[in-house]
Amino acid sequence: MANTLRSYLACIRNTLEAAMCLQNFPCQEVERHNKPEVELKTSSELLLNPVLICRNEAEKCLIETSINSLRISIKVKQADELENILTKKFLRFLSMRAEAFQVLRRKPVQGYDISFLITNYHCEDMQKHKLIDFIVQFMEDIDKEISELKMSVNTRGRLVATEFLKQFV
Amino acid sequence: MTAVAVHQFAQCITCHAWSPDHSMVAFCPNNNEIHIYRSSEDKWERVHILYKHDQIVSGIDWSAKSNKLVTVSHDRNSYVWSQEASEWVPTLVILRLNRAALCVQWSPKENKFAVGSGAKTVCICYYEQENNWWVSKLIRKKHDSSVTSVAWHPDNILLATTSTDGKCRVFSTFIKGVDTRDSGASLASDAKFGEQIIQLDLSFSWAFGVKWSPSGNTLAYVGHNSTIYFVDDVGPSPLAQNVAFQDLPLRDVLFVSEKMVIGVGFDCNPMLFGADERGIWGFVKFLDERKIAPSTSKYGSQFSEAFGKLYGQKQVGNDAVESSKPRGGVHENCINCILPLEKTGDGRVKRFSTSGLDGKVVIWDLEDQEDILSYS
Repeated sequence: MANTLRSYLACIRNTLEAAMCLQNFPCQEVERHNKPEVELKTSSELLLNPVLICRNEAEKCLIETSINSLRISIKVKQADELENILTKKFLRFLSMRAEAFQVLRRKPVQGYDISFLITNYHCEDMQKHKLIDFIVQFMEDIDKEISELKMSVNTRGRLVATEFLKQFV
Repeated sequence: MTAVAVHQFAQCITCHAWSPDHSMVAFCPNNNEIHIYRSSEDKWERVHILYKHDQIVSGIDWSAKSNKLVTVSHDRNSYVWSQEASEWVPTLVILRLNRAALCVQWSPKENKFAVGSGAKTVCICYYEQENNWWVSKLIRKKHDSSVTSVAWHPDNILLATTSTDGKCRVFSTFIKGVDTRDSGASLASDAKFGEQIIQLDLSFSWAFGVKWSPSGNTLAYVGHNSTIYFVDDVGPSPLAQNVAFQDLPLRDVLFVSEKMVIGVGFDCNPMLFGADERGIWGFVKFLDERKIAPSTSKYGSQFSEAFGKLYGQKQVGNDAVESSKPRGGVHENCINCILPLEKTGDGRVKRFSTSGLDGKVVIWDLEDQEDILSYS
């Protein structure tokens, strides 16, 4: 594995460790509400400074934290048009099934490919270190997955082309 | 340091409180109920469930002398429960809040209690004999954000609060007819109700868990920037000390003696702070010895199955960076409540209890700790 990826993921992991200090916090603005502050952004004092971790121009990760929620947005590397369309389709497929993943956001934050929303309720139900492992593992796998998909598309294309051209031989 | 007893009461505990004789514990299992357990011969059995709130209960306090429970909840209400025969009888306290109540504490004389709220106010409630009614007086327009914690000075007048605007404030809560002027507090001697004595602007981030030392000379509170603040001589010219540490932020603190403080929080391990003979505070040690748990599976996410299905392929091991380890201590999730249990004759806390989001109540013993005796 490339060394830059290792340090990129290590940096994300450490940032998440520090950022995932969430607690139950009822809404200050609306009566009897309890909503993720990072989504509502109604009180500026309840938000922390967002952290942007970039591996290069194409790959970055934005971590926004508030008192009771945490949003992680990921931009996946897309080298060419094929990768672009594969990423789009694949992450759309995942986002459509967001309930199954609990921490996945239905729509990514603008400028990013996929977003996770972790609230204090997730931290109460699940173990923090496993949540962090999940995010990091996801980021690691997504690159692999995209390149595998690309490879199989190329292989299939070559196969189809060969079959097609056989009739002219 | 030893955790004497560990009890797994629920999935998740938001707060807990002990009965005056420590035979019963009341806690909120992260919902709208309050469970009361009694210990009998090493076993804990549930004796009562109090249903009255309709949102999560955020604060419980059990008065030591009058044996009354006060509870506050995100539903904006507060109840004072008194035991009659074997039943707990609730009395609704009209807090006049329009946002969630977040924390509660009985005053030392137990004739008042303070409630911090998400409405950026503090309610001081006292009992009115003629109406048979708890009356609430509000301290308004002093806080810029939610009040996360309240603490009474031993003189029964001064109240310290912390807020998510990062400030710690001290107010006078003198109520005519309830308090008398001769309580001897020099600071609050002529302050009216709700008058701000001091505002401490030390933290850059949210402040939590304020406490007074047993004598009331020192004030301690924590900031979310992994710092604990100690303030001596609260008054016109306070002396403040910041102690920053490298671990995750704290949520609550407890004075064990004048010179020793225990902080609990997101690190899941109580931290001991002490003041040396010159009065300089510093981090001493963690109280829980950690056992490094061996990582059981290579890919330990709870989503592994879902992912396995989605990917339709064998999962590969996580070889990018070593996975985060479970902490391997007594508590497995954030500790958000710490209370004193037994005290020695000179007012030092000998035992204390902690509860956290992992649903455990842990009792700790501070005796036989040679290395911390130098701080006492």
